[in-house]
Amino acid sequence: MLKEAVEGQVTVVCNAIAASVQFQVEPVGRWFEAFLKRRDRNVSASFQELEEEEELSEESEDEELQLEEYPMLKTLDPKDWKNQDHYAVLGLGHMRYKATQKQIKAAHKAMVLKHHPDKRKAAGEQIVEGDNDYFTCITKAIEILSDPVKRRAFDSVDPTFDNTVPSKSEGKENFFEVFAPVFERNARWTTKKHIPKLGTMDSTFEEVDNFYSFWYNFDSWREFSYLDEEEKEKAECRDERRWIEKQNRASRAQRKKEEMNRIRTLVDTAYSCDPRIKKFKEDEKARKESEKKAKAEAKRREQEEKERARQAELEAARLAKEKEEEEAKQAALQAKKEKDIQKKAIKKERQKLRTTCKNWNYFADSEAESVKMMEEVEKLCDRLELASLQSLNEVLASGSKEESKAAVEKQVQEVNAQLQREKEAEVQARQASRSVEQASSGSGGGNKGWNEEELQLLIKAVNLFPAGTNARWEVIANYMNLHSTSGIKRNAKDVINKAKNLQKLDPHQKDEINRKAFEKFKKEHTAVPPSVDNAVPSERFEASGAEANTASWTTEEQKLLEQALKTFPVSTPERWEKIAAVVPGRTKKDCMKRYKELVEMVKAKKAAQEQG
Amino acid sequence: MHFLLAKIYKLFFNWVSSGSPSPQFPVSRRAFTASMAAIGVHFGYTCACVAIFKDGRADVVANDAGDRVTPAVVAYRDTEQIVGIAAKQGRIRNAANTVVKVKQILGRSFDDPEAQKHVAESKCPVINKGDKPRYEIDTGEDTKIVSPEEVAKLVFHKMKETAQSALGSDVTEAVITVPFEFGEMQKNALRQAAEGAGFNVLRLIHEPSAALLAYGIGQDTPTGKSHVLVYKLGGTSLTVTVMEVNSGLYRVLATHTDHSTGGESFTQALAQHLASEFKRSFKHDVTGNPRAMMKLMNSADMAKHTLSTLGSSNCFVDSLYEGMDFDCNVSRARFELLCSSLFNKSIQPIKALLEQVGLSTCDISKVVLCGGSARIPKLQQMIQELFPDVELLSSIPPDEVIPVGAAIEAGILVGRDSSSLDEDSITVDCCARDILMKEADDSGADVYTVLFPSGTPLPARRQHTLRGPGSLSSVCLELYQSEGRNSTPQEKVAQIVLSDLEPKEENHDIVTVITMKRDGSLHVTCTEQGSGRSEAVTVAVAS
Repeated sequence: MLKEAVEGQVTVVCNAIAASVQFQVEPVGRWFEAFLKRRDRNVSASFQELEEEEELSEESEDEELQLEEYPMLKTLDPKDWKNQDHYAVLGLGHMRYKATQKQIKAAHKAMVLKHHPDKRKAAGEQIVEGDNDYFTCITKAIEILSDPVKRRAFDSVDPTFDNTVPSKSEGKENFFEVFAPVFERNARWTTKKHIPKLGTMDSTFEEVDNFYSFWYNFDSWREFSYLDEEEKEKAECRDERRWIEKQNRASRAQRKKEEMNRIRTLVDTAYSCDPRIKKFKEDEKARKESEKKAKAEAKRREQEEKERARQAELEAARLAKEKEEEEAKQAALQAKKEKDIQKKAIKKERQKLRTTCKNWNYFADSEAESVKMMEEVEKLCDRLELASLQSLNEVLASGSKEESKAAVEKQVQEVNAQLQREKEAEVQARQASRSVEQASSGSGGGNKGWNEEELQLLIKAVNLFPAGTNARWEVIANYMNLHSTSGIKRNAKDVINKAKNLQKLDPHQKDEINRKAFEKFKKEHTAVPPSVDNAVPSERFEASGAEANTASWTTEEQKLLEQALKTFPVSTPERWEKIAAVVPGRTKKDCMKRYKELVEMVKAKKAAQEQG
Repeated sequence: MHFLLAKIYKLFFNWVSSGSPSPQFPVSRRAFTASMAAIGVHFGYTCACVAIFKDGRADVVANDAGDRVTPAVVAYRDTEQIVGIAAKQGRIRNAANTVVKVKQILGRSFDDPEAQKHVAESKCPVINKGDKPRYEIDTGEDTKIVSPEEVAKLVFHKMKETAQSALGSDVTEAVITVPFEFGEMQKNALRQAAEGAGFNVLRLIHEPSAALLAYGIGQDTPTGKSHVLVYKLGGTSLTVTVMEVNSGLYRVLATHTDHSTGGESFTQALAQHLASEFKRSFKHDVTGNPRAMMKLMNSADMAKHTLSTLGSSNCFVDSLYEGMDFDCNVSRARFELLCSSLFNKSIQPIKALLEQVGLSTCDISKVVLCGGSARIPKLQQMIQELFPDVELLSSIPPDEVIPVGAAIEAGILVGRDSSSLDEDSITVDCCARDILMKEADDSGADVYTVLFPSGTPLPARRQHTLRGPGSLSSVCLELYQSEGRNSTPQEKVAQIVLSDLEPKEENHDIVTVITMKRDGSLHVTCTEQGSGRSEAVTVAVAS
């Protein structure tokens, strides 16, 4: 119920209404279709009206059809129907290929109702009899347009269609304005649905790509049978018909080819003009460039990094080395300094010792003793270390004369003992080196030691197999291996080396060998008389002797011994001690033993000579 | 201009038709419609279903195996391709050459996270070829590379065959449904697959809209506005959508998709239970054996279906593991217990979604159930509990709702001369606010009547016949606009006063025509029927 208006209330607008908003709706349902239809026609029918009209919807749809009278209709020449615009004739000039079958039928109906000769006759119009009336054109139009095949043929050559293709220069300027309508009007020839739009400058790569792939693969239904010059139906016989067909087919193919070329040119032109393609290409190029740059950059950086690392390493190494050197230098300096200090200290100490000793008059009473003591003190000065010198000096400084003397003497003794020890060690070392020398000379050039027996064997073998024997040295080696008791395997090379060595030996060495061989021979001969039982203790004796005398007498020692024997005659007191002192590395016992051996040897020789 | 011409022609035609009545048009058209059949195809993640629109009704047709729903499974064996139930059953032995859930990677690039998920799950090897995923099929001698579109094409082809065998004639016109979240690429891929199978795709429509269309919501009386919840629990995904129906047009307000919940989750839960039962009785763990698990899954699937109608079901698997047969009874209560957390998870999104769009459960006027798993009684009960006063629409089997809706849309579109829709998304100018009128009820208190609900597509026109007490000599019509759902007036827009009326016995009949243009400007005309006195106002749009 509406309320009563209050006194003074008038019709008035008090506020503006909110503007409409846009929503996305689902494209389903009949109301959506109705809405679409209304929107397309730009009419605002209310729902109520639509509801009422629902039953009449079939008609209402047709009612929407708008016809435009073709002004020249009456002037049309029925003979020239082929060149007439069928859509215009039916009043559908504005709809053309978009007109539905239903609309065409409705339009035809309307035309018939208006222009049928009977109708006009009834209206009192003069009618030209026969086919010459313009109504024939209407009939022809419906005939063409109601047949899908014929209509397609006519649509294909639609006279209002603009076949032009924009040139490159035109397209360069404002690409989208020029090409969008061209593509739009050419899209009607496609057999496919969902025609991609040219889009805008902001279209994505996919959209553009899709667009061009659509147009490059354009599948057109356009055909040119409508332009056939000859009509098949007019032919009189089969042959003629065939000929016509052939002619037509050729011309159609030709036109179709032209059409395809046209489309191709259009797309090519568009493609070449398209600023987006250019942009994409540039983008791509830029992308590649940047990628390349980035790659190069990365590589360069890597290189730099490497270089830097290497430099750093080198630097570090250099620094370390420098530091080391510096340290070494410092250490050396320090050591030198220390050494200097020590030297100085030691000098001082020595001086101190000397003065102290001098002060004490070398603890001696007599001149000779003091000289001897002086010598000793000098020795002490030479030998003693800084620390012991210091301690000694301290003792000397603090102690009385007796104590000092005792201390000095003790030190002297110690030093002497040390000296003695050193001397012995030296002698030992010399002996050892000598023995090694001897051993090496004994073994000759070969790596493996050659003992006396083997040498004998070798000489024997060499004599047994004189030069010229086939594979002489091998044979010798074999012989030696067979007969050797040492168990060392010799090969030809060893043997040949040794043999050469032997040949090269100086006469002295030869003598020695000979002598040794003789000694051995003698020993063997002398050793023959004792029974086998004695062999063990004798060996033992030898072994014990070997303990004292590590090596057999060398010629040098022999010489020294002989010399000593001559220098120190029998009358000399402590003769053997002196001899031993002259022969280094030999004790008195050794020398005596050797002497006895020699005497026996000489005696034996003499006996032999006497016997001989 | 066109409008004018239409008017002229209308006059002209009326004159013409009065001269010679022409009855043949409606007849011919009717014949035309009858001969043209159209189909709606729902191509889901797990199943595909086809419905035929014929003679004014849409019906799902059964396939050659007698099932109304065909598994969207394609198996490659030697030279042949098997689609449907045979492929699904053969999957136990031929898993590497069987493609399932192809829709998941359809139209996606290889790096797409969804596609990656599919690649990880698929037993059929998927390779990357030019950033597009491809299936690698081992055909014995050599490996074949198959694109997802080809697989989808085979499924579509199967659906086409199914429809053809039911119709007895060729059928090409089809409407295909797509999930709301599908992107442009995926839609194109689906369209290509359907066209590859020989369909003429009339339109791709969203699944929730198809569901609404199947029940004809808002199709009979196009006035008014309501909200509908579409609950779709399919094989692998759960989709909840809130839709606004306004003047017969549908609009998606919000949608939520969960790809981790679906019928398969329930089957999985049941299969796990069966496996533990088997372990309990035979001391063998079959969970590590894929073939045994697949057998169990199939058995669980059957049991699940049975439990939607019966109180208990028997699961029997011949020679499940090392020749041992498995036999077990599952009660519905047990099943519900096993899946209780899944049920909760399935219900959860509804509330969140309603909150998102700012609606309460009582604002929802209808709930549409779709997807096979929406059959589960417990789930229906839980949804009913959520919406105590709302009707749950499940008269059409839930897994057939979407194809039926698609078929209805196909029926609407077929025979139209220009059914193709260039734009995929249609934006429509809509009324921004509720337009209300103040009236007094019998007791004299103020009541507000909604003339244009917000969201009404524009342009729109409404005609109301208002009544005023006959005793009055003047009546006042007050118009308000308001935002929000509570319909409390916020702003007075205009008032229209009709004065100097002649008092009479009956009520004054005042015909009010309200027209709103696309920009939102309002034009109101009030005419008193008795005296012919009228008043009009035009309310401009706020700039």
